[in-house]
Amino acid sequence: MNFFDIILWPFKMAVSWVLGAFHTLLDWIGMPPESGWTWTLAIILLVVLIRTLLIPVFVKQIKAQRAMQALQPEIQKLQAKYKGKKDQLSRQAMAMEQQALFKQHGTSPFSACLPMLVQMPFFFALYQVLIGAKGAAERNEGISALSADQVRSFENSELFGAKMSDTFLGSTGDNLNVNVLIVSVVMILLMTASMFYMQKMLMSKNMSEAAMTGPFAQSQKMMLYVLPLVFGIGGINFPIGVLVYWTATNFWAVGQQTWIIRNNPTPGSQAERELNERRAAKGLPPIGKAAQEAEEAAAKAELKAQRQQGQRQQPARKNRRKK
Amino acid sequence: MTSTDPGRTPHPTENPFTTLPDPQIWGPVRALPSALLGGALVSYRTLISPLYGQVCRFFPSCSAYALEAVQVHGAVRGSWLAARRLGRCHPWTDGGVDPVPPGRRIWPEGRHPRIIELNHPPIPPDLPEEQ
Repeated sequence: MNFFDIILWPFKMAVSWVLGAFHTLLDWIGMPPESGWTWTLAIILLVVLIRTLLIPVFVKQIKAQRAMQALQPEIQKLQAKYKGKKDQLSRQAMAMEQQALFKQHGTSPFSACLPMLVQMPFFFALYQVLIGAKGAAERNEGISALSADQVRSFENSELFGAKMSDTFLGSTGDNLNVNVLIVSVVMILLMTASMFYMQKMLMSKNMSEAAMTGPFAQSQKMMLYVLPLVFGIGGINFPIGVLVYWTATNFWAVGQQTWIIRNNPTPGSQAERELNERRAAKGLPPIGKAAQEAEEAAAKAELKAQRQQGQRQQPARKNRRKK
Repeated sequence: MTSTDPGRTPHPTENPFTTLPDPQIWGPVRALPSALLGGALVSYRTLISPLYGQVCRFFPSCSAYALEAVQVHGAVRGSWLAARRLGRCHPWTDGGVDPVPPGRRIWPEGRHPRIIELNHPPIPPDLPEEQ
């Protein structure tokens, strides 16, 4: 076992045990244990469980991203302040001010990507379990917490005539299997389309105006096209079981993001304006940036009123002068 | 090294290099261990650090902190301070500005190590707000 395997071992154990447990449960409530649908549902349940457990991590990530986005105007101010100052001391001064800014807002460029790293071992572990099923079934072995019988059952189960470990690439040429080709193409399309839709929705609705013009927006735009492309091309080498997993995960992510955009949008984004319109229709006060702006406007109006009151004493003096 | 004008409000990140009371200039023997360690740190910072780019969550970065700490506090206490800073620098910290605590060592006029200037840069005044 190499270092990578040692780290993944507990994750593989957990993931495979949960997968086997869901399969047993579905068998127990009356689904046919050898059917591909039972295994597919077991994978979907696993996705639901993992993504539910990861919700707090996502909340943290969203908060970190929001803090970073909220910081953008101040970062731009700093960049303007040090524009053209290339000497070492100015660079140091800028680094110092930037760190102070991150600290003040309780964020850093790293904290937004840390939660992504947390979920990686689970994905790798499941991928290894699913991709190892074929070899293990041939050798009549178990994988991690899955018994040899379970692995064989998984490997031989079919979804529309496609086995769980079949791949698009492995079903062309001499081993032509039209069922596998159709099932995997449909899943790859669903997977990449949901990914594209998710990113598109994020960009058009849930980014503040400041973030949409910054360098951040450029990388988001890249993600919009590059990620679906990578997964679309990679997908032809994924076994059906992995495709089920990715598709289910993406559908969950779309649902989660829709909920977030509807109920807790980024301050200053299109989604927030829509939320406030809905709130206004129900007679509720606005929240987020609009509320902040309304408060500021009220404060300004009050200040103006006070100033006017101060000026109103002047006519009295004028009257006196006239006398 | 840096003096603050009394009439000016200090910037929030202002962090002038200060020394404790009874400052002293070190002779060559007293300075030798810290000079050796400092040399090792300088070569690390010029040869190895650039490979990673900016990854530290603090200002000054851990190696800059270690270098200043060793120069100002000597090899033993400086190493101890640097080790404690390394312990603070992990993925779950928010980072921030974390200067080396003041020590007693001073240098003859103009002979202080460059790292002290780099770690305590003068902060230029903010640009006027556009309205």
